[in-house]
Amino acid sequence: MSEIVESARSKTSLVRDYGPIVLAAALLALVPLAFHDSPSKMTVIIGGLLFCAYAIGFNVIFGSTGQLFLCTGALAGIGGFSAAIVNDRTGVPMLLAIAIGGLLAALVGGLLSWIAVSRSLDTIFTGVVTLAFSLSFENFVLGRKDLTGGETGIRIEAASETILDDQVAPYYIFLGLVVVYLVLYRVIQRSQMGWAFKALRDDEVAAELAGVDVTRYRVYAGIIGSAMLGVAGAVFAFHRGFIGPTTYAFGDVDVSVLVMLVFGGIGSLLGPVVGAVVFTILDEALVDFARLREMLYGIVIVVLFLGFRRGLIPSLESVRSKRRDRSEG
Amino acid sequence: MADDLLRISSLCAGYLGEDVVHDVDLSIAAGEAVAVIGSNGAGKTTLFKAICGMSAPSAGTVTFDGTNIAGLGAHQVVRAGIAYVPAERHLFPSMTVRDNLALGAYPKRPEPKQLDFVFELFPRLKERSSQHAGTMSGGEQQMVAVGRAIMSNPRLLMLDEPTTGLSPLLASEAYKALAELRADGLTILVAEQQVPLALELADRGYVLDHGRVQLTGTSDELADDPEVRRAYLGVA
Amino acid sequence: MTAVVLDGIVLGLQMGLLGVGLTLVYGLGGVLNLAHGQFAVFAAIVIARLLDADLSLWVAIPAGLVCAALLGLVIDLSLMRPVYRLRGEDRVLLGLLLMLGVGTIIDGLLEWRYPIEALSIRVPGGPVSVLGVPMRRGGLVGSAMALTAGAALFGFFRFSTFGRATRSVIQDEDGARLCGVNPGTVRTTIFVLSGILAGLVGISRSMTAPIEVTSGVGLTITALIVAVVGGLGSVSGAFLAGVLLGIVSTVSAFYIGSYITTIVLLATAALTIVFRPSGLLGHRP
Repeated sequence: MSEIVESARSKTSLVRDYGPIVLAAALLALVPLAFHDSPSKMTVIIGGLLFCAYAIGFNVIFGSTGQLFLCTGALAGIGGFSAAIVNDRTGVPMLLAIAIGGLLAALVGGLLSWIAVSRSLDTIFTGVVTLAFSLSFENFVLGRKDLTGGETGIRIEAASETILDDQVAPYYIFLGLVVVYLVLYRVIQRSQMGWAFKALRDDEVAAELAGVDVTRYRVYAGIIGSAMLGVAGAVFAFHRGFIGPTTYAFGDVDVSVLVMLVFGGIGSLLGPVVGAVVFTILDEALVDFARLREMLYGIVIVVLFLGFRRGLIPSLESVRSKRRDRSEG
Repeated sequence: MADDLLRISSLCAGYLGEDVVHDVDLSIAAGEAVAVIGSNGAGKTTLFKAICGMSAPSAGTVTFDGTNIAGLGAHQVVRAGIAYVPAERHLFPSMTVRDNLALGAYPKRPEPKQLDFVFELFPRLKERSSQHAGTMSGGEQQMVAVGRAIMSNPRLLMLDEPTTGLSPLLASEAYKALAELRADGLTILVAEQQVPLALELADRGYVLDHGRVQLTGTSDELADDPEVRRAYLGVA
Repeated sequence: MTAVVLDGIVLGLQMGLLGVGLTLVYGLGGVLNLAHGQFAVFAAIVIARLLDADLSLWVAIPAGLVCAALLGLVIDLSLMRPVYRLRGEDRVLLGLLLMLGVGTIIDGLLEWRYPIEALSIRVPGGPVSVLGVPMRRGGLVGSAMALTAGAALFGFFRFSTFGRATRSVIQDEDGARLCGVNPGTVRTTIFVLSGILAGLVGISRSMTAPIEVTSGVGLTITALIVAVVGGLGSVSGAFLAGVLLGIVSTVSAFYIGSYITTIVLLATAALTIVFRPSGLLGHRP
């Protein structure tokens, strides 16, 4: 009897935990039906999914353990450039190259995280150190022309005439990546480690007293999130067939990812998805305004942060729970 | 009592919407010294912070010299004439003693006469006037904190546990300085756990427990009260 | 070698002047002004527009500084209010994000309206010999401006009542309130002052290199590096760090060259945070 209750309960919690992911995936899966014959729109939409993947990776690092990594683009770039270079120079197959890219990003991200944690840097200092790393990476990409092609970038032929070529199939590959990342995020959230993350976020001192190894879990988050970023950057490199200095630049990646995540809700499962969808639409809507776009983008940032300080998803959730409290009480 | 310098009525105060101090009435006439005694967590600090504007009281009035100052910011309360020495002192660690004292007179420039007065009260500060406050001992830091408060030429001096972290010898020295100030005519309100010292200085006292005034009377009455003797004076 | 070092000092004084505005605002209230460089560009473009309209330099420069000050005032009185109501990391994060948005707005506005505008002030006269090295007059005048501003700031913080009050808020905000200092007033004043300082950089820097509408982000990052190395909140630290980094920068550009120089500067900032988070002259509570 109790076993039945137990399994029923775990089924409902399974639905509650993973239902939103399924729902979001199903909705996103319908998008190409509307846009599949417009290559330019598909390019934009795939870009949106890429940024969604970035935002989830960033969410694992920043949302879960509060480490302000201002090097999302650089970590993705380490994945992208190393995968492309390894594939080109040694002929390593594409999938293995992507794995190598992810691994390298994980190593670097883990190292940054370890430095931040072991020197107990606060938000601002972690941000500045990782920003310095980002900009150094950019300068490196521009400077080491022999490796990265400098300003002209590099072409990657490996993916031509594979599933990553074209538009619709890659869309579903990126969607798959996003779903895997979301599931991974949820699994982490529900694991022992996730409990520790939550305790950390609520009260670091209390978590430390409760025996949570702050250092270890922060570094874990740094490694996992960076691996996500590296893999996403590498997959994108093969799909696009070209990467250059702006593909992973701070100004082109990090600012958008940060804005998307904060808008959607830091530390919430679907925050990155909502943020990416809204900002992709917004970006597209502003495309006709050409030079005016950057200014409008800035205004949107300011207005959104003043209005939705805690992010859209958490704001909605708190409204809903208040309503529930009222109806119950 | 129309000539009360400070009168607090039905004051409630706390943190994050949770009241710690309930319905406190307290008054102090010009020239008086009054002690608020109570154990750790009785609500003394919360009460003092609400009076001096470090936090806003949730209900009640604080009348200073005929005007209600409840809800004013700390910087406005100081300028109205109440100087507050918190238990944590809040000195400026990388500034010299002289600069710390000078800031007490803000927004005015420090008057040389006032500075001399402080140096007379605490000759040690004169010797150390160009030392950084952060490098001084606890007793010296307490002197700087009191000196800084006096620099504003206040009409009421409030001190929250001035003996925190001081040895018994330094604690009684601190109270000696307060007694000198009192003899000079300064009105003093002090919160203290070291009850004997406080009652020796004060004319009257209030016993605060669980955020409420449990007992009030002259210092002699309180010192003779069996409850006070048992709870705070360690006498069976 | 002497020439390279002297060039480094000239560059470094500009960097110090740039860092000092950012460091003050952060020290006072935890707001990292990621639009600081854009403030400098804003002032420079205002001056350039006025010069285009055939106004004299002696009118254009004060007007540019006033505009930068007003920009600071408006932002402090509007956007910074909700920021200062928050505490701790929430405040830091919202302040940083809002100023990032402001920087984007200024960048976007200038690039939209005046895409090819730039300020480049030519100081007349030939090179002047310093320690046997012929130095451009523009660089020397710019350095003199930076030194004057630095000295004025130093005097202000050391000897004026309001300067002392500003230092008190940086060191212990509650202590400052207990002395009768209103932290809000101090923060507004210093935000305006930092706008003026940014405007000064726009002017003095344009005597050696043109300030373009796209220069903002680069200037902000330089300011950030300088402020961090000098110690967030420290005025003299910012100038010291500026001069050191300026020398490092020209020496490294001369002997190693190109992109490595930028990486060296960035690495210096990162290593400072990791090994000496209080910076050269900063203090941490």
